[in-house]
Amino acid sequence: MRISEHPILDFDRGREIEFEFDGKRLVGFEGETIAAALHAAEVRVLRRSIKLDRPRGFFCAIGRCSSCLMTVDDVPNVMTCVTPLRAGMKVETQSGKGTIAPEGARLATGDAASEAIPSAVPLAIVGAGPAGLSAAIYAGRLGVESVVIDENDVPGGQLIKQTHMFFGSLDHYARVRGIDIGERLVQDLESCPARLLTGTTVLGLYDDGDAKALSLLKDGQHARLRARAVILATGASENVLAFENCDLPGVYGAGAVQTLMNVYGVAPGERVLMVGAGNIGLIVSYQLLQAGVRVEAVIDAMDEIGGYHVHAAKIRRMGVPILTSHTILRADGETRVESATIARVDERWAPVPGSERTLDVDTVCLAVGLTPNCELALMAGADGVYVAELGGHVARHDRDLETNVPGVFIAGDASGIEEASTAMLEGRLAGLAAAERLVPDADANALASLRQEAEDGLGELRAGPFGERPRFGKNRMFDLVNDTKDERRGS
Amino acid sequence: MKTRAECVVIGGGVIGTAIAYYLARAGLTDCVVLESSYLASGATGRCGGGIRQQWSTEANTKLAIESVKAFRGLEEELERDIEFLQGGYLVLAYTDDDVEQFEKNVTLQRGLGLDVETLSPSEITSRVVPHLNTDGVRMATYCADDASANPFLTTQAYADAARRLGVEIELFTPVRRILTEGGRVTGVETSRGTISAPIVVNAAGSHSIPLARTAGVELPIAPYRREILVTEPLERFFHPMIISFSFGIYFRQVKHGAVIGGFGDPDEPPGFNETSSLGFLTTMSRKLAHLMPRLRSVKIVRQWAGLYDITPDAQPILGEVDEVGGFFQANGFSGHGFMIAPKVAMLVAQDVRGETPDLDIERLHPRRFAGGKITQDRSVV
Ligand SMILES: Cc1cc2nc3c(=O)[nH]c(=O)nc-3n(C[C@H](O)[C@H](O)[C@H](O)COP(=O)(O)OP(=O)(O)OC[C@H]3O[C@@H](n4cnc5c(N)ncnc54)[C@H](O)[C@@H]3O)c2cc1C
Ligand SMILES: Cc1cc2nc3c(=O)[nH]c(=O)nc-3n(C[C@H](O)[C@H](O)[C@H](O)COP(=O)(O)OP(=O)(O)OC[C@H]3O[C@@H](n4cnc5c(N)ncnc54)[C@H](O)[C@@H]3O)c2cc1C
Repeated sequence: MRISEHPILDFDRGREIEFEFDGKRLVGFEGETIAAALHAAEVRVLRRSIKLDRPRGFFCAIGRCSSCLMTVDDVPNVMTCVTPLRAGMKVETQSGKGTIAPEGARLATGDAASEAIPSAVPLAIVGAGPAGLSAAIYAGRLGVESVVIDENDVPGGQLIKQTHMFFGSLDHYARVRGIDIGERLVQDLESCPARLLTGTTVLGLYDDGDAKALSLLKDGQHARLRARAVILATGASENVLAFENCDLPGVYGAGAVQTLMNVYGVAPGERVLMVGAGNIGLIVSYQLLQAGVRVEAVIDAMDEIGGYHVHAAKIRRMGVPILTSHTILRADGETRVESATIARVDERWAPVPGSERTLDVDTVCLAVGLTPNCELALMAGADGVYVAELGGHVARHDRDLETNVPGVFIAGDASGIEEASTAMLEGRLAGLAAAERLVPDADANALASLRQEAEDGLGELRAGPFGERPRFGKNRMFDLVNDTKDERRGS
Repeated sequence: MKTRAECVVIGGGVIGTAIAYYLARAGLTDCVVLESSYLASGATGRCGGGIRQQWSTEANTKLAIESVKAFRGLEEELERDIEFLQGGYLVLAYTDDDVEQFEKNVTLQRGLGLDVETLSPSEITSRVVPHLNTDGVRMATYCADDASANPFLTTQAYADAARRLGVEIELFTPVRRILTEGGRVTGVETSRGTISAPIVVNAAGSHSIPLARTAGVELPIAPYRREILVTEPLERFFHPMIISFSFGIYFRQVKHGAVIGGFGDPDEPPGFNETSSLGFLTTMSRKLAHLMPRLRSVKIVRQWAGLYDITPDAQPILGEVDEVGGFFQANGFSGHGFMIAPKVAMLVAQDVRGETPDLDIERLHPRRFAGGKITQDRSVV
């Protein structure tokens, strides 16, 4: 269902286009993904699973989880949640593994005459979210040329779907909407010696003599980019939760729901169960209400609400019950969610018999945490370290955000789950550290004061009660690292 | 962890676990396998899983034929699915040398009872692999009984069967040093303490080299990186492993549907490097797209590297070393240790128990390098 009225967003949809789905003619809009167009047309089952032939829809909507693979223009295993819809496309539900495409079959991608990709740059930044953009801006302040690469057509990372006024105390960004912060960063980038390369995926990170080589995919073409330093600001992926039928179409990640409604103007369903009462669960619930969707309940296994109380109070006032010490037992339905059963849990998180309740919902939204995207760092040889407070496996890094691979930095959610405000500050620090490496004669005083500013900001943000987890996690990380640089600077 | 055992096997790859299993099956159950990481974390878990009988020397062909026999009964014996599939091996000839050598090979192989055919380029596409580009291909040999299996499942199956018979397997327990006294092995020192044992089998792949050195034994093995990649899974569209020595490639479609393959870079320097390179990815993609143009639209999902433990004659080193009594080697597999693992492990187990191996392994004894003449098999990828 398409959202027609929204208090904050104006959806300027592209041209209406026709495409084919399993032999039927459907319409969608230019600029949206195949999965979004199908969802708007009430199609939920995108494929059948390989082994058990179970119906599958999309889950993450950001090209991470592979739940949405379909056959498009005879090419199997196409990630429809990130593939733009084009007029005349032939989209088919995929059963099983998919059959090798006939010779010559190609997925219609961007325009053939795409802009040239440079072959070398001093600094390559992967990810144009708040961390990556800030890194480019601050490295740029010291004169470092960079290329910022993002797989999406629009820069901003997660910010492009965040319609709410921002929490976090970063003075000049508090009470600004996420979407507007993203736009400001992109504007700031314009005055920097930085190039933005959108619609481009970084596939791998390799050694290349005394530098690094990135392999890129843009519009179906591969390219190679050599860089002396690399900042990975690749963000995070959403976690799933194991319960009966958790793979049923209609069980979506919170970010996916946000993408669907705030980027494409498509409502995920009519009645939603939100699992997770942290900030993301609370904010997305509010955004659902704004888009005219009912939220039947927000549940959380913890015995208290994890997110800010202002957010909780807001949705409570709108009549949404927040049930702590509750978990989801299962989702039910033939090919899509038709109901969900929840239960109370005891202090050991075991469901209390007799407390089960079935809710009449068509969507289950999971806001149960994120996992850092650190694959590129690990591929480059960084050590993977498990730090639960940072979201799981993260690449080993020091206070300058440099991994144990010299010249490879990691910042933002990719280095440990926090928030956009800290992501921006980490991006700055990484940008400055990379600049120090690349510009040996940089103005040391300017560098030191910019660095101090970012470090103070981080300290401030992590000082509050909500900063406790990441603060603890980061300290554990730094304890693991023999931070010789820090000693050097201190002496 | 035990502090004393009749036999210690170093290495939880396919070789180490198989040796432990055959030892236990023959009654030697007081055996400990020590693995520095997890099972199949070395070359085994990184390998292509191909099982070929088409070799150019009599000894190797015989060993391979015996191994395929063993593989055929393995799922039943170990009570496990190891994805064993006799999908054949198609060996492509591009040069005069290839053609000449392949003709000799086929004569030898047929003499040993192997069912090998020679195919013309048009027979290749009409009978075996329809989508193959045969440009430049002179002919091919094809053995439909050649096979493949899943190396992880095979190793796990051996390990579990060995455990059922009483063998203990200690993971994340690297051996630091081989202990010797008066020219005999007395045990091993590990990260978790010492185990004394009168017999130690060194099946640590390329890491056998530094380990043997701790006992004063110099193995003529050099480690070489070999890279490999895998695509997204697709419904099966070809069966055999396709290889060529002169074009430099091997690839097959695994049960799960992915195409897996690689090639050996002749310029690769020796060393313990296990990182992936962009050069390999690019060249391998081109090779695949050339040989099977339809693969052009297929996505590569992963690449990795492992080590070949290469000896001067590309043959494994098997047997008790002359310098240190009770110290057995089962290493130097030179890139084809998976396919011969079942038979080799049986032979090593017989040797360790003091029986006469039922196939001659004397020719693979470490002392063959002491001045003697070396015969190299021509069929190594
Ligand atoms: C519902 C919700 C509400 C939130 N509200 C707030 C809030 O109020 N205040 C706050 O401070 N934070 C908030 N956050 C958190 C905040 O959005 C994130 O912490 C922040 O966006 C992280 O920034 P980042 O730059 O590290 O990563 P991201 O914003 O995730 O950006 C990473 C970018 O890298 C791209 N990328 C990844 N891998 C590749 C690759 N291989 N090749 C090319 N591109 C790649 C991704 O597509 C993405 O665009 C919220 C998050 C959510 C989900
Ligand atoms: C890319 C690639 C493709 C290949 N393709 C094929 C193929 O198609 N067919 C084929 O037959 N062969 C193939 N091979 C070769 C095959 O993988 C090996 O010959 C075979 O797996 C050797 O097994 P192994 O048990 O001797 O060695 P490994 O599997 O390397 O096992 C040795 C084990 O010892 C452990 N270890 C090391 N040091 C210590 C220590 N100090 N203490 C304790 N444990 C230690 C390691 O962690 C490792 O697990 C390939 C190899 C590679 C790299």
